[in-house]
Amino acid sequence: MPAEDSSVRTLSCPACGGTIAMRAAGYTVTLACEYCGTLIDATDPDARIITRYQEMQASLAIPLGTRGTLRGVEWEAIGWLQRSDGWAIWDEYLLFNPYAGYRWLIAQNGQWSLGLMLTVMPRRDGGDQIYKGRRFNSFYSGNTARVNRVAGEFYWRVKIGEEVRASDYVRPGHMLSLEQDDRETSWTISEFLTGREIRAAFDVDPPPGWLPGMTPLAHQPSPYARRLKSWWPVAALAVVALLLLLSLFGRTMQPQSFGFQVTPDGPSISQTFGPIVLPLGRQAMTVETLTSNVEQGWVDIDVSFVNRKTQDSYDAYALNEHYSGRDSDGYWSEGSRSQTLKVASLPAGTYDLVVDAQAHHWGSSGNWAWDSSSSTYRTEGLPPVDVSLSVARGARFASNFWLAVLLILVPPVLMLVLHIMFDNARLAQKDGATADGDDWLRGLETP
Amino acid sequence: MQSVACPTCGAEVSFRSPALPVRVCDYCRTLVVRYSQSAQAMGEAAVLPFDISPIQIGTEGHCFDQSFQIIGRVRWGWTDGAWNEWLMLLADGSHAWLGEAMGQFMALREVELGGSQARVLRRLMNGTNVLPGESGTIAGHNYEVADIRTIHCLGCEGELPFTAPSGWEALSVDFRNADGRCASFQKDAHGPTLYVGHYVTLTALEPRHLRPLPGWSLPVYAG
Repeated sequence: MPAEDSSVRTLSCPACGGTIAMRAAGYTVTLACEYCGTLIDATDPDARIITRYQEMQASLAIPLGTRGTLRGVEWEAIGWLQRSDGWAIWDEYLLFNPYAGYRWLIAQNGQWSLGLMLTVMPRRDGGDQIYKGRRFNSFYSGNTARVNRVAGEFYWRVKIGEEVRASDYVRPGHMLSLEQDDRETSWTISEFLTGREIRAAFDVDPPPGWLPGMTPLAHQPSPYARRLKSWWPVAALAVVALLLLLSLFGRTMQPQSFGFQVTPDGPSISQTFGPIVLPLGRQAMTVETLTSNVEQGWVDIDVSFVNRKTQDSYDAYALNEHYSGRDSDGYWSEGSRSQTLKVASLPAGTYDLVVDAQAHHWGSSGNWAWDSSSSTYRTEGLPPVDVSLSVARGARFASNFWLAVLLILVPPVLMLVLHIMFDNARLAQKDGATADGDDWLRGLETP
Repeated sequence: MQSVACPTCGAEVSFRSPALPVRVCDYCRTLVVRYSQSAQAMGEAAVLPFDISPIQIGTEGHCFDQSFQIIGRVRWGWTDGAWNEWLMLLADGSHAWLGEAMGQFMALREVELGGSQARVLRRLMNGTNVLPGESGTIAGHNYEVADIRTIHCLGCEGELPFTAPSGWEALSVDFRNADGRCASFQKDAHGPTLYVGHYVTLTALEPRHLRPLPGWSLPVYAG
């Protein structure tokens, strides 16, 4: 390859003789042979062997030399490290673009983060760190991170077994990491990548979704926090729709009132009221019957909605009664002078309300007299009983409304429970105290 | 612009900055030192190894609130790596350095090392060992030591404010702080020098005439 035509330089591996490509010439210090894994000193013109490393990674999630566009910049994966700290093992890919510098792609448990080395140091505040006005809570401190395996190019002299002291500070979605050795301190901020982003860029396996029992990454944002937040508009919309339905079917018609009188122990009175127009089908009707002056007696009230066209009839029955008296315990009364009747599911149409009412009196305090016009005895001196009916469209089945509200609330409550489980699992790895309400709330913050 | 003939090969060597005494001949790599109107050869500069830096001599941009042009470079190496110090000729005739290491850039200007200095600087000047993480106030700002290394000159090109003989060794200490400022202390056989400045991104420099690199598309901002 002529030098002028490519940004890639090639050299021969001093161990196996294979031709190795160097993609970041001038920056690269360490080169691991892609065939035999031998670590080569790229600063030495004769390409000196640093370490022979026979065990070669067969299949990297991102083969070195792969290019991908992440956040609008084209990157080439040029190096790979596998590191561990005694608790966890993770992979780090070094990304390079000569005009944009370096980034890190960090993979752990199939989840990916994009790391950037900071030039601005975070500010310490108590045990936390403040970076660009955002607080990062101390998560791990003083772990020792060790390089287990290596391939590709690096801008520093990577050694197998190389160790740094690492401390991590977390806010959901981001992690701030401090790495120190005797000569250098460096800060890196890594941002959690969504499965869609990393797959679009480097075509890796989809990150696994979280299930209860799994341990999330320290900075993995709760998948339920986002869903929980996006649920609230849905829930609010559902409640508004519910109220709208309720008002549409429940309260649009002005109640219609009718009234007549019945004589106690007199004949049954039949009255027809109407028309009652129901423009929408499957409606419920409410009929309130009130007999305000029934005393020592009862009124049987039969109510029928009769469809004028089909003569279909929808019936209900009420018994209004009232008794009172005085005994050794004093005044007593029982019975109810009003009833509310509900007739469900009337088809659309024009109805008549047919009411049959008969009043009865308890006891014999009245005077009996022959009434020649009706050929019956009737009690005299007892006032007629006023029967008033109030017909309203839509039985307000309030219980249904609350049931619906409860159903709307089930998913967010479930998500909240899952969010708390997720954050407890996430924060269980943290140094120090167990998770509490403050932590769960912080987990809901926007990443 | 002033031109002299290279004392070694006779090629025309032009000096863009009247203040800079040293120029590497583009043809024979002789270090040409200018004394008033005459030029003198001061040995040969090493051929710079291939690197993939996006900067080249002639790159222009904006830094320290004025425009600049890259006119020279020194490449430094240490046991575990190498980096570039690009010399910026600023619009006002002064010069500054654009340090390029690990894909990051630092804009630095030399400041005088006089008067009272932070304890960490005095210890460095006295040759006492300091450690990363130590802090001190430099030019009114608080800094922390980021790294300490012994460096040697790998090669140079273009115009320079000093001769950069191969094998030239120095102690280099980098400082950083929480505002994105940085400082660099260097000490060699001739004495200490101090540079202060800040980290910059390539984008923020609004660069033009970046070096085209085969296989990579130039960023849109550089168009």
